[in-house]
Amino acid sequence: MATLSHDDIYKLVREPIDMAALARHVRAPEDGAIVAFDGFVRNQSHDRPTLYLDYEAYETMALAKMREIGAQLHEKYHIHRVAMVHRLGRLEIGETSVFIAVSAPHRAAAFDACRFAIDTLKRTVPIWKKEYFEDGAVWADGELPPAPAATPRAKPAS
Amino acid sequence: MPLAHLHSAGYNSRVPPVSQAIRVTVLFFGRLKELTGHVEDSIESAEATTIEQLFALYAARYPELAKYRSSVVASRNQEFAAWDTPLHSGDEVAFLPPVSGG
Repeated sequence: MATLSHDDIYKLVREPIDMAALARHVRAPEDGAIVAFDGFVRNQSHDRPTLYLDYEAYETMALAKMREIGAQLHEKYHIHRVAMVHRLGRLEIGETSVFIAVSAPHRAAAFDACRFAIDTLKRTVPIWKKEYFEDGAVWADGELPPAPAATPRAKPAS
Repeated sequence: MPLAHLHSAGYNSRVPPVSQAIRVTVLFFGRLKELTGHVEDSIESAEATTIEQLFALYAARYPELAKYRSSVVASRNQEFAAWDTPLHSGDEVAFLPPVSGG
């Protein structure tokens, strides 16, 4: 795994996410922009009123995957710092489940990196949410992470 | 099955352990956890030499599980892994339903 020497933050938490503190953390004098994504609990799902959500994660792998996304961001975009926090456990309507903030000298890189970060998180980080309704609960439809189709057959002779 | 043998024998051999039992940790998440009643299981088996065979072993025990085979990805030691990935003693394998974070 790539070494992160960027003073980034990657965390899974069980308490409310302090978005202002995270935005302050990524902000630096040499930057000119921060783009942040605040994902929060919607009050309905497929036209059914949602009561609350419950998030769980394969925590060690989820953190590793979040750090991998961060390493990709620094490779792909001219950005400065990243803060990426996902909350677990029971979340009420309107509460923030995921927050990502990216700082950069210029806005374009910050926008692109933040978009890439949330899209990739939703596709590859092992976190699951269960949606609770008046009349029951379901695991949310998710995305199947891309996995290798098969292990390489022919190994080069050593 | 005496475990002491497993740790000394065949560990650095390149030949996958075929007839020897291996012990792996298996994790289930989301609906798979509810279906099997397991968050974490430890299993010793001589038959499950790949992730696919390990899944089959659990599918035999929990027939409902088989229905989810096409909508599950597996990981080995916290990296997404192909179904034909060989297993070794001490591996941590997880079966992951479609992810829905965010």
